[in-house]
Amino acid sequence: MASTTETKQKKMLILKSADNDEFEIEESVGVQSETIKNLVEDGFTFVPLPNVYTKALIKIIDYLKKHANKTDSNDEEIKTFDKDFVNTTFDDLFELVSAANYLHISCLMNMLCQTIADRIKDKSPEAVRKIFHINCDYTPEEEAKIRKANAQAFEGQFDESLD
Amino acid sequence: MEYFLSLPKDCLSEIFSLTSPKDAGRSSLVSRGFKSIAESDVVWENFLPCDYQQIINISESFLVYSSKKELYFSLCKSPILLDGNKLSFSLDNKTGKKCFMVAPKQLAFSWDPTSRYWGLSYYPESRFSEVAYFPGFRWLDIQGKIASQMLSKQTAYTVYLVFKLAPDAFDGLEIGTSVVRFVNREAEERRKARRIGLLNAQRRDDEWMEIEMGKFFNDAGEDGDVEALLMEIRRRFGIGSLLVQGVEFRPE
Repeated sequence: MASTTETKQKKMLILKSADNDEFEIEESVGVQSETIKNLVEDGFTFVPLPNVYTKALIKIIDYLKKHANKTDSNDEEIKTFDKDFVNTTFDDLFELVSAANYLHISCLMNMLCQTIADRIKDKSPEAVRKIFHINCDYTPEEEAKIRKANAQAFEGQFDESLD
Repeated sequence: MEYFLSLPKDCLSEIFSLTSPKDAGRSSLVSRGFKSIAESDVVWENFLPCDYQQIINISESFLVYSSKKELYFSLCKSPILLDGNKLSFSLDNKTGKKCFMVAPKQLAFSWDPTSRYWGLSYYPESRFSEVAYFPGFRWLDIQGKIASQMLSKQTAYTVYLVFKLAPDAFDGLEIGTSVVRFVNREAEERRKARRIGLLNAQRRDDEWMEIEMGKFFNDAGEDGDVEALLMEIRRRFGIGSLLVQGVEFRPE
């Protein structure tokens, strides 16, 4: 009996965020991240993640848990979960994409990049600057030159909204 | 926080690749850093068709470009010739999807046997440097075809006859019948034939005229040949010349 309980005992990992919060998760959930998988293969059970903040890590653990339980029957449920997951602000999406990139979770990366791409489509350069918090570093002459070189890209009306 | 600076370059290229050529073009205006990514080969490689390199390799046309972005716009603006000038290849500006024109020497013509002789003539304003020249006819059928696997997948195409009418003694074209269909589904698609008004021809940017022959959807490119037919083009008095540059398969 003892041996059966032991084999059923799930292997656990501890993830430590950049702001020093610790999270215990099942190894099978964590290894969906290539970065974590490599560390686990090297025998680590304590994984410091100096590039991932608590706020993003909580969301990512949620995502990994949901996707670890993927079966043939809960396809719709996962789709709904994913849709809600990306329904957030640009700042959150950037934080998540940075974390997903560091953790090498390719399906999450693809989903986040696609979401950001879809949401910046048809935006004006001014709106894109605000969304990415960028200051324009062109002189008016340079700006005019770029507009001229990409004239077709500036034909029509663009979306000025920031969401 | 300047997210742009904290995001890895790979992520940003990936995001731009998933927008469109127009969005990437506009992103160059955001900032210098943005421009270097929005104009990178990694991004524009994604806007080009996946088999562009193979197509360029078999082309007889001379291409000069210093970046993938330049190549993209060169292929949008100046078609290249393939397969011994039987076909031209270009890209649709907005989507980067593949566009082909079948040259006159690859088209099949049938015409009123009492008409005067027709032939291929040298014509510098055609991309193929020659046109099919019909000095006069009472009726004419034109057929062009292309292999569906050459076209962009999951794409709706429209087929056009590209032509000019000689300004001399023009007596107008009359209604014809057109059909666009997959050759191996000929029987079931026969009913697709429709009457078209040849007076509805549109002027193109390159100063030629075009008339729509029909539409089809290229799914996985596994449907064999697609053929476009334009039948019974009539001229009231059988005079005046018609010049055919080709039959174009263009994404909608």
